[in-house]
Amino acid sequence: MASISIRNLTKRYGNFTVIPDLNLEIADHEFVVFVGPSGCGKSTLLRIIAGLEPISSGDLYIGDTRVNGVQAAQRDIAMVFQDYALYPHMRVYDNMSFALELRGTPKAEIDARVKRAAALLHIEPYLDRKPKELSGGQRQRVAMGRAIVRNPKAFLFDEPLSNLDAKLRGQVRAEIKALSQELKTTMVFVTHDQIEAMTMADRIVVLQSGTIQQYDTPEAVYERPANQFVAGFIGSPAMNFFPVEWRQERAILSQGGTVVPLGEETANGLRRAGSAVLGIRPEHFAVATDAADGIAVNVKLVEPLGSDTLIHFDLAGAASIARVDPSLRPKVGDRLSLRPQPSRTHLFDAANGRVLR
Amino acid sequence: MTDAVNTDRWIRWLNLVQLVLAGVIIMTPTVWMVLSSFKPSFEVTAYPPTLIFTPTLDNYVELTKTTPFLSYALNSLIVTVGSTALGLLFGIPAAFAVSWTRISWPAILTLAARMAPGTLFLLPWYVMFRQVGMIGSYTALILSHAVITLPIVIWVLLPSFDAIPRSVFEAAQVDGCSVTRILWRIALPLVASGIAVSAILAFVFSWNYFLFALVLSNGDTKTLIAAAFNFIGEGSTQWGALMAAATLIALPPLVLAALVQRWLVSGLTLGAVKG
Repeated sequence: MASISIRNLTKRYGNFTVIPDLNLEIADHEFVVFVGPSGCGKSTLLRIIAGLEPISSGDLYIGDTRVNGVQAAQRDIAMVFQDYALYPHMRVYDNMSFALELRGTPKAEIDARVKRAAALLHIEPYLDRKPKELSGGQRQRVAMGRAIVRNPKAFLFDEPLSNLDAKLRGQVRAEIKALSQELKTTMVFVTHDQIEAMTMADRIVVLQSGTIQQYDTPEAVYERPANQFVAGFIGSPAMNFFPVEWRQERAILSQGGTVVPLGEETANGLRRAGSAVLGIRPEHFAVATDAADGIAVNVKLVEPLGSDTLIHFDLAGAASIARVDPSLRPKVGDRLSLRPQPSRTHLFDAANGRVLR
Repeated sequence: MTDAVNTDRWIRWLNLVQLVLAGVIIMTPTVWMVLSSFKPSFEVTAYPPTLIFTPTLDNYVELTKTTPFLSYALNSLIVTVGSTALGLLFGIPAAFAVSWTRISWPAILTLAARMAPGTLFLLPWYVMFRQVGMIGSYTALILSHAVITLPIVIWVLLPSFDAIPRSVFEAAQVDGCSVTRILWRIALPLVASGIAVSAILAFVFSWNYFLFALVLSNGDTKTLIAAAFNFIGEGSTQWGALMAAATLIALPPLVLAALVQRWLVSGLTLGAVKG
């Protein structure tokens, strides 16, 4: 168990900089999720921590030890790979015991640890099987078992759920979360799925082009996104964005001239900036009973999800979505009056995307 | 619909014709050689060739009586096994290193060496081996035949190592393996079938290689294929004995080639990754 500290880390491939000057502190026992779109550098960062990629410049500490030049084999880190990377010629038992055997752990202890991990992951019946005789979900568990038996300083997960079907993904996600609470070890989990990030993390690192956009708790990242990128990336369906201006002491959508009610904080921000980008999450629209109280929209598409209904509409030239009560089933072409919750609106600088408050 | 059926039928026929033609071209000399080895001497060169004859083992008897055939066979075996072992000893780590580092020029260099005519090596080798008094030694023959076996081992194994998912090696690194241990514990078991295939191919090519043994061997270390050359005399050629010798020389490679087929089908990496 150990903290992970990344200081002024840069990673270049030739002349191409993947990660420019990154700083990150992961506390001992913390479950941190790296999230971001493809090519944002999240897997590269994880592989750097694992020792599978060299650092171009900067420092990496695991615990108090600087590990820049330390081989992966000597870092005492366990990693679960996206494709599981099981040893195909070894039985499940041998896959799990291999690392302990390399460290010269006594046979009896290896046996006890493998069996304990197998019980934890419900894979005891498969210990004598080869990986090719297992399903995708079972292989995934073996890959986790291989990591767990080692009792390492930190666990690294590289998109381990992306090859599972939706149902299994939800189940394993909950299991990993439960495991993290039981094992109390530092965990770093890479995903492009923001639901995984929100549900599992103590803290989320949102990455774009190798730079940290925000590093905070899931609640903070959702409620108080640091910029337009984070606001648009976290939350599903994504936040709606509209160009907005401050005219005659009111917030008015730049296109169409619709007046939008804002909370005090965002109104002050817009007053100072003059114009900005307004962000409203789909779930922060309500259907107004009084037509004059909301923004009139034409329903373009209705998606009933069971738990709620998604209404697609165009507003101020932007394709937008509102998440409303499932009992509401308007028809395409119907006119609805939607009212954003003023206190939950967000405002971003139109030039650099930074949040305005 | 009818057109499609007709086209399919034509393709099947053409495939069959191709296979038969290829079979005839490849098999005719072999069949002719084997049949001739069982013909009485005077019938071997008869024209037109006789297809119906009384088979005899005379050529084989003559071969063993007039030549130290077993001794030549033993020489061939020593040189072939030695050079195959040498090829595997250096070729396996070399192929792994090329696959691991993705630096391919050393492998291309060995391929260039394999493609170069044997005479290119022969002259400097002859001078070098003579200077150190190794002409006619097994060591000289084994070392020279490694030029045949090493590229075969490297190039047969390279795709096998490349086919192992990189993440399997990385998992082993994270588990605590050094590169040497990854080769030994992870990669080698996974390319076992490739090693068998490369060993058999190296054996066959070394066994059949003629030029180096012709120049670098002596009476005691002459290999079968070089010795068989002696049957072609200036005055007369013992065609019957030559055919018997050729048949016996061809036997081990043919048996081994049949074995290769069995190894090729096994896919050990199945189940390494998702799926």
